Formats: sequence, structure tokens, C-alpha cells
Amino acid sequence: MRKLLDFLVRKRHWFLFILLEIISFVLIYQNSAYQRSVWISSANVVTGHVASLSASITSYLNLREINKTLTERNGELEMQLLTLQNQMDKIYADSLSFAGFAPDSTEQHAFRFTMAKVVNNSVTHLSNYITIDKGTKDGITPDMGVVSDQGVVGIVSHVSRNFSVILPLLNPKYRLSCKVLGSNYFGSLRWNGRDARFAQLEELARHVEFQKGDTIVTSGYSSIFPPGIIVGTITDFKKQHDDNFYSLDVALATHFDTLTNVRILMNSKQDEQLRLEEEAMGNDT
Amino acid sequence: MIHNIIRNLIYFFVFVLIQVLFLNHIYFLRMATPFLYIYFLLKLPVGMSRGYVLIFSFLTGLVIDSFANTPGMHTAACTLAGFLRDPLIRFFMGKDLPEGIYPSFRTFGYGGFLRYTLSFVVIHHMALFLIESFSLYEPLYLLLRILGSLCMTTLLICIVEAFNISPQKSGEKQ
Repeated sequence: MRKLLDFLVRKRHWFLFILLEIISFVLIYQNSAYQRSVWISSANVVTGHVASLSASITSYLNLREINKTLTERNGELEMQLLTLQNQMDKIYADSLSFAGFAPDSTEQHAFRFTMAKVVNNSVTHLSNYITIDKGTKDGITPDMGVVSDQGVVGIVSHVSRNFSVILPLLNPKYRLSCKVLGSNYFGSLRWNGRDARFAQLEELARHVEFQKGDTIVTSGYSSIFPPGIIVGTITDFKKQHDDNFYSLDVALATHFDTLTNVRILMNSKQDEQLRLEEEAMGNDT
Repeated sequence: MIHNIIRNLIYFFVFVLIQVLFLNHIYFLRMATPFLYIYFLLKLPVGMSRGYVLIFSFLTGLVIDSFANTPGMHTAACTLAGFLRDPLIRFFMGKDLPEGIYPSFRTFGYGGFLRYTLSFVVIHHMALFLIESFSLYEPLYLLLRILGSLCMTTLLICIVEAFNISPQKSGEKQ
């Protein structure tokens, strides 16, 4: 007995080692699950604030770039406004009976959005994450879609009071349902971990017609993104190994390495859709 | 004693901050990321109880993980490397090292420190990238990433160590 105790005391670092490794692997496997706890992530109080501090310093560095995209976006919107105004004027001039555009007040658009600043961002890892400076305080909940002014960014994966972590397209865990603009066939977009500028659209049926340079947009089949948000453009394609599907290389519209501002889409009808879908699936079994 | 604790704390904060603020964003040729923070674990004094070394490694990994959003990966790799630190030192330098010295070019000699560093980094990087490859497995790419990161980390550690040598001479009172 004494010898056994002696042995245990002498080898105590072995037990400590095994215990600590078990803890780490539990963390790793918890992480593989889709939702995970916030406390070991960049959304907790300390890491969030350190990240936002460094972001507020580095955000000055690419102000020029941001300024450029904002001006471009502004120009685009102004053009749209002008065209709309033109149309309005035409309608006014056309018919005397036009009484103005009165939208139905009971109908509400399902999607609203909130602006947020990126405080931590990575494109260098295999599983990348983005942290933003809005949290439950601002009404953010998991599974909300995130877009930038260039295109789709990802979805909110977990949320603390002041911060949230986004699972971007640049994470192999995330699959986004997409379609080629103009056709209604859809495939799923996934990143292969290589180049932050490209992702792969898989499982696109072989008879779909498309060309290099065609635009890929969200399909709108999930309740997260509305249909028609730009994801990227086709740069290359090849047959998948089972020959019935295409695999496309898609140049992502969003430049993840210079991302500073994002918008979070809040779908007020998401709950309803999910509940209905769950109910339908529940009836099957 | 107090001098030791303060010194280790400063090392910890400085290298963890350098890692999370700068080095985590480096991705040389889309392959290599340096992980300089293990320099802190390399430089823990010789003869420190293995339990403490383990706990320090675990905590360091945990902190890096929480900044990089990779729960468990760095923690597991650091714990393994920390566990094998003592056997490594004994293997390369023999048992008759004075207690309490810090591993460095001066105390271990250039060759000794380099061998010690290289094997420590190899263990850490192998563990880290193998765990990471659970989610996406591509052998060739994995090998490239390990080798690339290995070179960068070792190079950085040697540079830091080379600059670190003079203050140590005046700082150590033995």
C-alpha cells in the first residue's frame, strides 16, 4: 500500500498530464459541435476588449480602402436612386390618376439589419472566425446572417453580451446554399482551407448551364439569407469524382482580409419558418 | 524567487500579446504561421517541478486558444510539449545541470539550445497541426504547413534568443 502511494506521488505529473489532455480534447470535441460555449472564444470579456482595442488602432491603417469602397457603393446607390426617380417622374407624367405609391402598412419586410464593426478577424487559419462588437445587448442571436457591402460574410455562431463570433465562409464547418444567378439549381459552397479569395461550390447538377464569370448568389432556401445576395463569381469548374455533379471555383465577392464593417441580417420570420420546418420533419418520423 | 515569478509573468504577457496581436495574422505563402509564444515555455527555468510546467503550458495554450477561437487545439499541443520538456532537457543536456538556470544559448551552448528548441517545436507543431487536420485532411498540404511553420517558429525563437542574451547576463545573479 505504501509502495503504491509512493508510486502514485512520484508519478503525479503523469496523472496531471492525462487530466489536462482530457480537458483539452473535451474542448476540441465541444468545439466541433455547432454551438459552443462563449467563454473560451474571442467573444468573452477580456479577449473581446483586447481585440477591439487592437482593431481600433489597426482600423486607421486601411481607411483609404474603406473610403474607396464606400464611395463606390454610394455612387451605385445614387445611380439606383436616379433611375427610380426617373421612373417615378415618368409615372407621374403619364397618368393623371396616379395617387402616389402607398405601401401596404400591414406587410413588413422580413429582413432588417444592424451595422457592426469587426474587432478580430483571421484568414490565416484553417477554421477562421470573425469577432464583431455587437452582442445580445443589440439583439443579436446565433444563426443570423452577416453580409458586408461586397457580399456574404457568414453567420453568427455565438454571442455574448457585447460581442459575437461569426462563422465566415472561410471555415470548412460552414456550408452555404447557393445558386448560379439566372438558374434555380442550387449547390453548396464550402471553403477548402487553401486560398482566402476562393471557395468551392459543390453538388451542382451537371446539366446546369453556366459560364466562367457568372455570378453566384444565395439561394434563399435557408431562413438565414434572403435570396439573391452576391457570393462571388465563377472562375473555374471541373467534374466531381462521381461525375454527376460539377465542382466550381468561386472567387468570393467579399475581401475577408480587409473586412472592417459588416451588417447583421435579422430575419423576423426565421423562428416561424424553423418551427414549421421542424414540425414537418417531426411528422415524418 | 520573486524575481523569477516577475520575469516569467513578463515573458508570458509579452509573448502571448505578440502572438495574438501580430503573429496569428501572419500566413506566409498561405502555409506558415509562426508560433512564437512557446518561447515562454522553452525559457521556464530548468528544474521547475513538472507539475508546474504542465499547468503553465496548459494555461498558455488556453489563453492562445481563446484569442484564436480554436478551443483545445493549442491547449492540447502545449500540454504535450510541456510534458515532454523535462525529458528533452535531460536527453540533450544530461542530468547534471544546475537547478534554476534558464535555457539559453549561453547555458546550453548554441548546438544544445538549438537541438532542444527544434525538438520542442517539432513536438508542439506536429500535435497542433494533426489536431487541426481533424476537420480537413490533406496529407501533403499538412506536411507543408508543419514544415513551413516549423522553420518560421524556430527562426523567430533564435532571433529573439540572440537579442535576449545580453540582458540575461546582467540580470542573473548567481
